Amino acid sequence: MKIRLIINAITHEVEVEERTLLADLLRDQLGLTGTHLGCDTSQCGCCTVHLDGEAVKSCTMLAVQAAGCSVLTIEGLAQAHADTRSGFESIDSSRERSSLASEEAGQALEVHPVQAAFAACHALQCGFCTPGMIMASADLLRRHPDPSDEQILEGLAGNLCRCTGYVNIVKAVKQAAAQMQTLAAARSGQ
Amino acid sequence: MNAPTTMRLPQSADFRFPAAIEPARQEDLRLVTGTGRYAADWIYPGMLHAFVIRSQVAHARISKTDFSAVREAPGVVAVLTASDVAEAGFGSLPNAVTNKARDGSPQKQVLMPVLATDRVLFAGQPIAMVIASTARAAQDAAELALVDLEALPAVAHVGDALAPGAPQLHPDVPGNLSLRFEAGDAEAVEKAFAVARFVSKLRVESQRLIPSPMEPRAVVAIHDPGSQKTRLHAPNQGMVGMLNYLVAITKWPAESIEVLAQDVGGSFGIRSGAFSEHVLVMLAARKLGKPVRWVGSRSEVFLSDFHGRALALSGAIAMDEQGRFLAIRFDDEVDLGAYNCYFSTHIGTRNLSITMGGVYKVPALAMRSDLVFTNTVPISAYRGAGRPDIAYAIERLVDHAAHEHGFDPVALRRLNFIDREAFPYTTANGTVYDSGDFEQVLDRALELADYSGFRARQQASAAQGKLRGIGLAFYLEASGPGGAPKDQVEGSFSADGYMTVYAVTGASGQGHETSFAQIIESELGWPAARVRYRAGDPAHHLIGNSTGGSRTLYGAGSAIKAMCAAWIEKLKPEAAQRLGLSTDDISFVNGGFHKTSSLSKALPSDPAAAASLSVETLIDALIAEGRAGELGVIGEATSGSTFPNGCHCAEVEIDPDTGMTALLHYIAVDDLGKVISPQLVQGQVHGGVVQGWGQAFCEHAIYDRGSAQLLSGSYMDYAMPRAGCLSSIRNDTINVPTRLNLLGSKGVGESGCSGSLPALANAVIDALRPLGVSSMDMPFTAAKVWAAIRQSDHGA
Amino acid sequence: MYAFQYRRPSSVEEALELAAADEEAKYLAGGMTLIPALKHRLSSPSQLIDVARLAHLQRCERIDGDTQTLWRIGAAVRHAEVAAHPGLAQDLPALTALAAGIGDPQVRARGTIGGSVANNDPAADYPSALLALNAVVITNRRRLGAQDFFQGMFSTALEDQEMIFAVEFPIPKRAAYAKFPHPATGYAMAGVFVAQHLAGDWRVAVTGVGAGVFRWVAAEEAIAAGDPVPALERDDLMEDMHAPGSYRAHLASVMLAKARGELAGGV
Repeated sequence: MKIRLIINAITHEVEVEERTLLADLLRDQLGLTGTHLGCDTSQCGCCTVHLDGEAVKSCTMLAVQAAGCSVLTIEGLAQAHADTRSGFESIDSSRERSSLASEEAGQALEVHPVQAAFAACHALQCGFCTPGMIMASADLLRRHPDPSDEQILEGLAGNLCRCTGYVNIVKAVKQAAAQMQTLAAARSGQ
Repeated sequence: MNAPTTMRLPQSADFRFPAAIEPARQEDLRLVTGTGRYAADWIYPGMLHAFVIRSQVAHARISKTDFSAVREAPGVVAVLTASDVAEAGFGSLPNAVTNKARDGSPQKQVLMPVLATDRVLFAGQPIAMVIASTARAAQDAAELALVDLEALPAVAHVGDALAPGAPQLHPDVPGNLSLRFEAGDAEAVEKAFAVARFVSKLRVESQRLIPSPMEPRAVVAIHDPGSQKTRLHAPNQGMVGMLNYLVAITKWPAESIEVLAQDVGGSFGIRSGAFSEHVLVMLAARKLGKPVRWVGSRSEVFLSDFHGRALALSGAIAMDEQGRFLAIRFDDEVDLGAYNCYFSTHIGTRNLSITMGGVYKVPALAMRSDLVFTNTVPISAYRGAGRPDIAYAIERLVDHAAHEHGFDPVALRRLNFIDREAFPYTTANGTVYDSGDFEQVLDRALELADYSGFRARQQASAAQGKLRGIGLAFYLEASGPGGAPKDQVEGSFSADGYMTVYAVTGASGQGHETSFAQIIESELGWPAARVRYRAGDPAHHLIGNSTGGSRTLYGAGSAIKAMCAAWIEKLKPEAAQRLGLSTDDISFVNGGFHKTSSLSKALPSDPAAAASLSVETLIDALIAEGRAGELGVIGEATSGSTFPNGCHCAEVEIDPDTGMTALLHYIAVDDLGKVISPQLVQGQVHGGVVQGWGQAFCEHAIYDRGSAQLLSGSYMDYAMPRAGCLSSIRNDTINVPTRLNLLGSKGVGESGCSGSLPALANAVIDALRPLGVSSMDMPFTAAKVWAAIRQSDHGA
Repeated sequence: MYAFQYRRPSSVEEALELAAADEEAKYLAGGMTLIPALKHRLSSPSQLIDVARLAHLQRCERIDGDTQTLWRIGAAVRHAEVAAHPGLAQDLPALTALAAGIGDPQVRARGTIGGSVANNDPAADYPSALLALNAVVITNRRRLGAQDFFQGMFSTALEDQEMIFAVEFPIPKRAAYAKFPHPATGYAMAGVFVAQHLAGDWRVAVTGVGAGVFRWVAAEEAIAAGDPVPALERDDLMEDMHAPGSYRAHLASVMLAKARGELAGGV
């Protein structure tokens, strides 16, 4: 069946089977392979994307369930952050685009503070869990902009990592929180 | 279905870090933006999809198969069976390392066939591969297969496989015993036990684990009929190693196969060998003239990736009146799984015996390992591959002996350390340890752990009704000797101003690219940001070792250091000419060539004053002159095993009501020789310690005794560590350089496991000892701990 | 998964009509249980009727009656919404805390109370709350008390194509929930919901321990009498590779004590 949905601020009309998972639509049909499949029991979180502003597991959703919704994947996170800095309400802005912003602006996009913090804190090694971990972290910071340790652990409870031991991931979330609070303060000061 | 849209897909070049951010590694930009490429991310036009039909039964005769309905199903292009494999002339999956019995007789080896022929030996064993236009069509069609299996009695555990009257799995292996391996001097050990004042015995199990890197295995094969070359995207730990195994199985010429991997989602040892799926998609791609991709599901790779560990180690230690160790003996039961695959023999033999004395002076050592077949997934290397297991057994035994005979566990260890002056030290069974300073490492660990303050903390916990314990463990492990004669790297410069380094092995999370670039910057003075790393490029034929045994940093890294030295030699005449001097009058210091006589006047830390011609400037000039092509060099080095060691200390608190253990503090003091990248080393230790935590507290690949079915077949039953299990860790490193490679570095990849297993176990036993519990096997789940407390003298 | 049709009706009436016309159809809300079952080919419905967005199933409202006040939570209300609901946090904090502990954040963004209750996983959290709070399940056909609704593991009184509209919770005097999580799944290895109702009577409901959620009557009586709670005795204790029944039974006592310790006013 034909469905219409927004992915990374671009509207798509795609033909899918009813049983196509959202993750498979993203990866196989749209080539957005940054969202990964790490398990088949909905427990690893590697497939985490944002649906209408909330972190969800795209392997446990049918594409057709997302019809009419706005999806944000790891590939769109930096642009969404840029939109926030330009004054849009949340990182999951549904402002529609006709093409990727990098084409418009002609220069490399600065990554989201969570992405930057992960790289700075060595919060990734093999990188396979990383997109899902970043999307989950961004969501947790939306709900708790100044999270306690307990809130961070609870926010990452749906994501597995085999390489890092999680220590630096928690560090990265804290660093990103501080950075985002600084940015928000600067914005509200304007 | 797979038609690409017209949307332009993002690439890493579309993104950048903010100026203030320094990423830990060069590869981080693509990995945090989702623009990396793992095997399942490759999409080729016209690509076909594979699904493997597997045995649902653990032990059976295949009486009949009929795939005709599968072949006729919608979308199906082909079905590969054992007869296709035979027709193609394929061999079995290799047993990479074998060993002999004491009398010289060879191991009784049974190799795993690519596809089962007349029998299946483990649940999950591949029987056929369906290739179709979509993955779903292949899976749907597979359900139509007719596979008649006559079930046979199965054994899931070593004890059952060795029992009299047990079903015999392989015709030429009576008693299911593949090899009885012996090392050391059993007679000397027996004599020592006869005169010993104190003897202690302890049997420990290192339970079967699912390695579970986060990327489920996937492979993509593309055949080019023009060049007759088959390319294979596969997660691997080194192109050369994987290539060798593919050649061994397929018998195709090495030049006709290219192995590619850009990003690998974790390896931990199980990406080194070629699996059935690898060679089957290659065969399919050649036969069908189309790219073929197989992607494993997680439950599927639980049954098709090799498993880890699965050892039982019975240790005995003999001591004199003062507590000096006279002898250590181990009797081991090693589960091989259903076949001899890759490294299981090495894990159960030499990787246990090489360091079986640990960090101690032990005059007599002996080991006997029985390697046994069971109807389970074959075992191969998983982070440490036997070395964490022996470290675990030794340190549990030493702790047990200390408490059994009234010795302080720290003092007993100190008494028996190999002295720092005694290196290189040859152990009683012939292993030569390179360097170490165990006293210094221990002192630092005790200091960081505030070991002396523990009793007060324990009393505070007791006042809250909680059981607090502290556990110490000293590990020493042998990093990989490397099977290749040497490690080579090749470096060149290109017109765009970049250095490219070609090497054999790629990373799967270790950040080798970054570490190597750091070595280059510090040895040569060429900026790390302008180094590109290419692993396994088929156009560059290099000798070298795959990643495994924690040796890549010092192995390939030493070759890189040698490469830098080669460049310095090569550039010297050019530099001399530009400076108007003879080569004898210039020296290389701090990234630049200087007039030697002026050097003594300048401060080494003031490059601007002393530099006459920096390497960077010189090379840029040569590139600008179009002479980049002259600058190629090869660097090579031979680096043997090193012996990283360390002392880890864990402090836990057990809630006797639930049996739950909280890990309060963890200290890791490691001797890794010269450390190149402290942040990356710390990451490796964190990761290794948490994998150890997983084995200690929650992971266990459980087989049903009767049916030999894997009960913990998914993450629903195989519990994995999650964020928060390790909330407080302090790392430190003591740098005792090794002379066994150019860098002076010891490997770190597997140390975290070797230290954490015994530290955590000793801490849990320490907490429970006052209740009369002196021994327990991993995993220390809440249920198990609670049951032990209840059954103990004080628990009822 | 096997193939199926997908429909997104725009009203409850339309949903019921679709279901009536196709006996192999299933309702789909969050899909946190159904989608994994489909992926593993454990289920093969002919049609999925997506009710997640039906307004009628999304209301979360306080109803002030003559004799009592209660909260009516629509079947498609998600765990994250319950967890963050300020009104519920005021009147029934034990319920919001329970919802906040289900699964993980991604699951809570999709999973619904209706889905959880209809599935009746023997280790799910919500069934213990419904049983202890004397909740009522409102369907398109009738009102069912929790005691009658839950009929053993994965089994409820729901008839074919019957649709849950909402769950009604009377507000208790006080209540609390404590759960010991399963090391792999995060479901309850033992979860105990304890509530004292306005009339003074106690309810203790246990999940994760037996073959379906149950009331621990001996505990209720002991608490009411001010006596120590005896050990839990059951014939249907859940046994698996992770824990024997005796451990789960013991955990039930521990979680009951923990929950009681969190009750306002102390017990």
